Amino acid sequence: MFRKILIANRGEIALRVIEACKELGIATVAVYSEADRNSLHVRFADEAVCIGPPRSNESYLNIPQVISAAEITNVDAIHPGYGFLSENANFADVCESSHINFIGPSPDLLRMMGEKDQARREMSSAGVQIVPGSQGIIEDETAARAEAARIRYPVIVKASAGGGGRGMRVVRSEAELPAAFDTARNEARQAFGVPDVYLEKFIERPRHIEFQVLGDKHGRVMHLGERECSIQRRHQKLIEESPSPAIDERKRAELGAQVVKALEEIGYSSAGTVEFLMDEDGSIYFIEMNARIQVEHPVTEMVTSVDLIKSQIRLAAGEHLQEVVGSLVPRGHAIECRINAEDPETFVPSAGHITVFQIPGGPGIRVDTAAHADAVIPPYYDSLVAKLIAHGETRAEAIVRMRRALEMFVVEGIKTSIPLHRKILADPDFAEGRLDTHFLDRFATVSSG
Amino acid sequence: MKGPKKQPRASEISVPGVDIEQLERLLEFMAEHGLEEFEYSRGDFNVRLKKAGTRGGEFAYVAPAVPAHAVTHVGTVPAATVVPAMAAPVAAVPPAEQLHIIKSPIVGTFYAGASPEAGPFVKVGDAVEAGQTVCIVEAMKLMNEIEADMAGEVVRVLVENGHPVEYGEQLFAIRPKAKK
Repeated sequence: MFRKILIANRGEIALRVIEACKELGIATVAVYSEADRNSLHVRFADEAVCIGPPRSNESYLNIPQVISAAEITNVDAIHPGYGFLSENANFADVCESSHINFIGPSPDLLRMMGEKDQARREMSSAGVQIVPGSQGIIEDETAARAEAARIRYPVIVKASAGGGGRGMRVVRSEAELPAAFDTARNEARQAFGVPDVYLEKFIERPRHIEFQVLGDKHGRVMHLGERECSIQRRHQKLIEESPSPAIDERKRAELGAQVVKALEEIGYSSAGTVEFLMDEDGSIYFIEMNARIQVEHPVTEMVTSVDLIKSQIRLAAGEHLQEVVGSLVPRGHAIECRINAEDPETFVPSAGHITVFQIPGGPGIRVDTAAHADAVIPPYYDSLVAKLIAHGETRAEAIVRMRRALEMFVVEGIKTSIPLHRKILADPDFAEGRLDTHFLDRFATVSSG
Repeated sequence: MKGPKKQPRASEISVPGVDIEQLERLLEFMAEHGLEEFEYSRGDFNVRLKKAGTRGGEFAYVAPAVPAHAVTHVGTVPAATVVPAMAAPVAAVPPAEQLHIIKSPIVGTFYAGASPEAGPFVKVGDAVEAGQTVCIVEAMKLMNEIEADMAGEVVRVLVENGHPVEYGEQLFAIRPKAKK
């Protein structure tokens, strides 16, 4: 097992990794930017190293600084959390050549999953159904026209290196294609440095379904059931739950087996998430794999009682899946609300000084956060302030717990998405599990009209 | 940098009120750190200690009594707040000065010289020019030469040879060259 781990992240996930390390008896090193000097992850780690100014490319994304911090503190592994360097194959390479364990899949796998068209090809040839789309990158408009005609409108143009909704354009007819193709390419070049895009069948009202997996370094992979993350705005998840109201036992077993078989074939290790879209008829298509721990991992933890971060660390240290997880006995239903520092109506980020921070508790409630009263939410990073997770024996119980927890969650000094969550949790469609990724648009229209 | 390797030292000394014991502690502290002169100010309270036999008034540097975490500039106490004659009589108190701090631009290991044999690039009392190499910070097997960002006289070396430094860590205190 590792002696000492450096956490190359900040906020709640850095704290979450520190918690796991404390339970495993592993010493921790926090890294931080000048803006995070007084953060809880700095306070609760055994050691802390300032790695740069507030801007992330000069600190949390600065590979030489992070590696130097690992070297001067003499750690044997780095946990990258999510975001920042977590899916950076080059970083994983540098860790390897510096003889530091990168807690995640191999650099080659990160590279494969980072190239979305390659990931789709690999998963497809391993037997997982993918959304009908172009075989690889679309070079020019003529090729785009031909492909779109083949897979039939509406289609979506997506950046090959993309994520977070950037470099994406929906095209409903041939007339819209030239402009959308150009815009997507430009956005892709700006956001990711490469203009490569591909084309895909656009599903009008999809549900977002994803499978949590764990793999060891000995060729074994298992899945821990699915999560549904259909409540999104601008392709950013807002509410996640497990299990999905749209997946039954048979479907779960069938899809889970497909995922496990494909990932064992590819040789995946560590924690990861395989994301799917489900169309109106219940058909499921692979869209991408996130080769890291995810923000919404706690809902799976609540339902399975498996600590995913501890598992991830133990698997990285070479332990076998069988001894890390053993048999799985899922129980009940869990929902997570992402509490963001933003205006609940306009979604404009709201950085600032938190004056009151009253966290709810009681049965079935978990809050993952690095915020506290008197903390400052800096404007440099993402707006996630806290994750509120409710677990119940049934979905209905999880919902009533979440409702009362949202009532009892008091944050003052900054604006948060709590009021929006209260409205969503009170919505009859949400209560009945009638979800799709446009839920929030529809909801916003209703609430403002 | 926070961690087992480094402990705040100077910052542990506090002077809430004056009594002989405290003055003695301060004197011990000065001896321990090889200080010839010590000045402390907190609210309305100011104390200035000076070892007998020290040449008068040349040196008004305050030991960097900052915890390892602080980033703020170290400066001397403004002359106006100095209460003289707490200890040895002090000849004409020089106007206190603002010292410039050279900070580490990267995380790594601090080396005072180019090699163990070569001796340090600079030592206390040396004059440095802007752009002159003052030390090396090793990061990822690369030796990065750190340059003085201002001309002046090295008043203090704040890191020991071979110790790790974090981003923004204070390396040298420089008395800026007087403009003529």
